Amino acid sequence: MNKKGLSQTGIAAIIIIIILVGIGAYYFSSPGKGSITTTTKTTSQSMSTASTTSKKIKVAVLFDVGGRGDLSFNDMAYMGAMEAAKELGVTVNFLTPKSTTDMEPLLRQLSQSGQYNLLVLVGFLWTDALNRTAGDFPNQKYALIDSTTGVVRKNEVDILFREQESASLVGVLAAGIAHQLGGNTVGAVAGMDIPPLWKFHIGYLFGVKYYDLKTGNKVNVLWQYTGTFGDTQKGYETGMQMLQQGAKVIYGVAGLTHLGMFDAVADWNQKGYGKAFAIGEDASQEWYNPHYIILSGAKRVDTAVYTAIKMVVDGSWKGGIKVLGLKDNGVGIWDLNGVKYFAQLAYDNHKTNLTPTEIVNIVKEMRQKYIPQQAWNIMKQLEEQIKSGQIVFKTPTSEEEYNSIIQELEKGNLNAALEKGTVS
Amino acid sequence: MSITSLVDYLKARKTEYITGAMEVTLSAITGFFIAGIILQSMGYNALSIFNIMITGGVSDLSHLAGKSAPLVMTGLAFSIPLMAGVFNIGGESQLYMGALAGLVGTYYSGNILIGLVLGFLAGAFWGWLMAALRVYRGINEVITAIMLNWTAYYFIIYLIIKYLPNPEKPYMSIQLPQSEMLSMNTTFLLSVLGALAAYYIIYYTDLGYKMRVSGFNPKTAQYSGFDPSKSILFSMALGGGLAGFGGALLVIGVSSGIDTTMTSLYGLGFTGIGVGLLGRNHPIGIIFSSLFFADLIIGGQWVELETGAPPYVSDTIIGIIVIALSAPYAYKKLVELYRLRRR
Repeated sequence: MNKKGLSQTGIAAIIIIIILVGIGAYYFSSPGKGSITTTTKTTSQSMSTASTTSKKIKVAVLFDVGGRGDLSFNDMAYMGAMEAAKELGVTVNFLTPKSTTDMEPLLRQLSQSGQYNLLVLVGFLWTDALNRTAGDFPNQKYALIDSTTGVVRKNEVDILFREQESASLVGVLAAGIAHQLGGNTVGAVAGMDIPPLWKFHIGYLFGVKYYDLKTGNKVNVLWQYTGTFGDTQKGYETGMQMLQQGAKVIYGVAGLTHLGMFDAVADWNQKGYGKAFAIGEDASQEWYNPHYIILSGAKRVDTAVYTAIKMVVDGSWKGGIKVLGLKDNGVGIWDLNGVKYFAQLAYDNHKTNLTPTEIVNIVKEMRQKYIPQQAWNIMKQLEEQIKSGQIVFKTPTSEEEYNSIIQELEKGNLNAALEKGTVS
Repeated sequence: MSITSLVDYLKARKTEYITGAMEVTLSAITGFFIAGIILQSMGYNALSIFNIMITGGVSDLSHLAGKSAPLVMTGLAFSIPLMAGVFNIGGESQLYMGALAGLVGTYYSGNILIGLVLGFLAGAFWGWLMAALRVYRGINEVITAIMLNWTAYYFIIYLIIKYLPNPEKPYMSIQLPQSEMLSMNTTFLLSVLGALAAYYIIYYTDLGYKMRVSGFNPKTAQYSGFDPSKSILFSMALGGGLAGFGGALLVIGVSSGIDTTMTSLYGLGFTGIGVGLLGRNHPIGIIFSSLFFADLIIGGQWVELETGAPPYVSDTIIGIIVIALSAPYAYKKLVELYRLRRR
């Protein structure tokens, strides 16, 4: 009996709540922006106007797992897409997959819908999903950033970077800084021993030896593969070892791993063992510790995204691999504007307490104080040669080729790393 | 059971089902209502976001099947030990262990069945370990589970990088070839079979009966002549085994390998807690609640694309709805458990 009474009051409560919700739903949907009917109306309107004037191009940028706020690939992709939206007048929408297992079904469904002229996939995690999907939808265009499926398709562009070019500029400056600090050793903490990293190695070593060639100051390079992109502890240890071996500058090309190296460099300075600097990669990483991170190599994912969108807009689309280098602004060294942009992002994401202006000022001061003008000049000279196409770097296709290039470079034979042109 | 007796059975429990159904409806309405207010105050159109979230997931049924299969298992991994009176927060790492064992087992033997069995055993061992620490050493199972979750997490990353790397893809472990994989739909069917098996064990076997009695009241169990701590061990091993089975299913049916960032595995065990509570701790209920969850999770990913809302908006909505839906039941269970432990 008691139970029955309870259920009766329960029913009463439900009825009241349903009424309330009904009123609420009605209230929510009545103002113009709220209701489904009005939104569909407006979208259909805007679509019809768009189709009458000029067909508005729609692009979807699909982030890596984790999405925005990584201060690296995803944020750069967003930056590039927004620029394209502003300058090329395309509509850009974004999607963040929850896990790698969601990638393929989401991509497949998006392709099936045919809503978008281009799907931009950010990061290597999309490689498998794309490889299994692209063939089934020949009319859907795809752009994969910083990875390749290894298959040439008319509807797919894989955008890669000439990492050798930016790494060589980094190498020149690193050697210059080491020399300024009275040392003759530079290091690099690398991730896994895989082809993309070989390109960094060749470029960095080339840059250092180029500095050597131009100034006559001998500088050694310590290059260490840690075997991982995700182990900060390993990065710390490797960084410490290099510092103990006399490295004055360490370049990080190991993703998360080299954040540990940054900490090692900071500790080394703070404990008074000597002065040393770190160099970041991909995005501008100076904000992480502006006193000790003096430079960052740039992998301009934003340029890659922009380029892909532009290819669709201006009709220059061509499937296959597209490699962006210094000339295309696809790689390089982050200038102070770039440093500021990422400092702002880091500040907004509460990753640093320093304001962007403070960070930029510190970095500016460090660069003025510790990078000799001579090194800048040599770097500019090399940059010109690369940009004008006078010299082109080799991209090794096998481990043997990679090893032989490194051996020749160590001996001082710089031309072994070049596919075209010579330096002297 | 004949049909007439089934009807009688249902009639006898009519009020119970009605109040249950009302409870669910009421809390669903409350959840959507609160979420709606929040969305609206953030400047989004609540109705269209709900619409995207609910329809987005069912638009691709095999995705839904693949997504919900491991959730069924982790939901059971939480619910079964709860029947015996223990909180299994360790579904997460039990799933990891199962995924690893499933991957290694299938990869090296070339036989899916071996992978699934190994997955179950690995998860069961991990669950049993947590229970054993509670039973024999008196360590609170929640604390053990939280710590062992991370132990398993880093252990697996270590193994993948050190011993099972994929030479072609630095971010992946070894991968199962397509021929050694199940379809997502089969994966879901297997998870349903798992749930039915669990249902049978819980309600129709001696072990299940003892487990439920000791969960209901450990003293009663002791008076009736069986040891409640054995039930704890059994329930955690069974729950862990099912989570491990879910992990193996995930690798064999959906992900084909484990990535070094663990994104293919992370979070499924924790979501399982919600799935279990939402399914009212009943294996059949859990099948439906995991489908509901998977639907919202998949649909939530479309929200950003369609409305421009950042991804955490849909996560928040899922959280609110789930809390509202499981709160009354979780509250009742917690009070029950608290009373028992104080005796």
